[in-house]
Amino acid sequence: MSKSLIRRAKNVVNGYSGTQVVLREATSNDSDGPSVELLDEIADRSFDNVSFFEIMDMLDKRLNDKGKNWRHVAKSLTVLDYLVRCGSENCVPWVRENLYIIKTLREFTHEDEFGIDQGQIVRVKARELTSLLLDDERLREERQLRQRD
Amino acid sequence: MSRFDVDVERAVRKACSYEETAPKRKHVRACIVYTWDHKSSKAVFSILKTLPLGQDEITVFKALITIHKIIQEGHGSAIIEGIKNREWIASLGRIYPENGTGSYGRIIEGYVEVLLKKLDFHRIHSGFNGTFEYEEYMSLVSTSDPDQGYETVLDLMDLQDVIDRFGRLLFSSISSGRRNECKISALVPLVGESYGIYKFVMSMIRAIYRQVGEEGAVEPLYARYCEQHSRLFEFYADCSAIKYLTSLLRIPKLPGDPPSLEVGDEYVEGKPSN
Repeated sequence: MSKSLIRRAKNVVNGYSGTQVVLREATSNDSDGPSVELLDEIADRSFDNVSFFEIMDMLDKRLNDKGKNWRHVAKSLTVLDYLVRCGSENCVPWVRENLYIIKTLREFTHEDEFGIDQGQIVRVKARELTSLLLDDERLREERQLRQRD
Repeated sequence: MSRFDVDVERAVRKACSYEETAPKRKHVRACIVYTWDHKSSKAVFSILKTLPLGQDEITVFKALITIHKIIQEGHGSAIIEGIKNREWIASLGRIYPENGTGSYGRIIEGYVEVLLKKLDFHRIHSGFNGTFEYEEYMSLVSTSDPDQGYETVLDLMDLQDVIDRFGRLLFSSISSGRRNECKISALVPLVGESYGIYKFVMSMIRAIYRQVGEEGAVEPLYARYCEQHSRLFEFYADCSAIKYLTSLLRIPKLPGDPPSLEVGDEYVEGKPSN
């Protein structure tokens, strides 16, 4: 509870925009993943040009976060995966252009204080996302599927 | 020096510290991302050259792993920069003579050999990227001119042989204990690279076979390919026994028998076919 209060305070102090607040919410350090509603909202907002750059900027920061914040990284990959499938047309070229950020996460490791490797989830997500992005046909199919709904 | 240069300098130093552990991925990744952000690898190499490499063999070994990683995953400029610094890399192999005090002398020498071979290959065949990721167009380019394709396959196989030899050397130097993570971490880029080469060689031999249309022409290539296949099969089996490796990357599973020249019995990536 207090964590989310602090986050809300940080949002105000740092003067984040509405879009950035939504994204920070979706990629927070809480243990549960981002809700579908949040993901949908981000995908919707990606169609707006200003919001799009705000989203990508924040995601870039989150993806390069420290190992301790592995949840930031893992959730950012979740958001990115969703954007690639359901977001605006701009998302795919952006991610392709910055593919190295995701590719290099395939060997992400972080040992928590109990010596447990928490990097597995990041590695799997990064691997999945990379292979999706390298497969033009599959990506096109995925995007068409979503648009019909 | 700009702020970024300071950051990347810290990353290089931390990746190549004197502690006998794997180079921390976080720092290696920072170096790789730097080369993409700046589309240049000059800074990384010039910082590498300032490391106290003459004092500590673990630092040298970790520097070699880091260089390999950066060449593989970094921006294309890393390959060019690596070729420019070929002599410097070669000199690293001579700092610690084979029968030196520590146990790293021999594997440093072996690693340098792999890197030099790799750089030489990239200098001649500039169409390949650092990890030999499969790109369809490359095999098409090579087979429009079967002679050139033949050469490329031979060079790829030579590189594969050097990697294979070094893999054996590494395994023979590994004993039990946690301190071995440093040596084991060198296997990570080797697995990726050998598999990339493996896939390339197969598709190119098939393409040449289709083009030329007679089995006799590709017979020597195919025979050597089968030989490499079985050695690679064993190499991956050995790697699968190391928990540190299997948690970090997916070790490819090759089919028991080498795939035939005929296209049709496709092997799917990451899926054992029998």
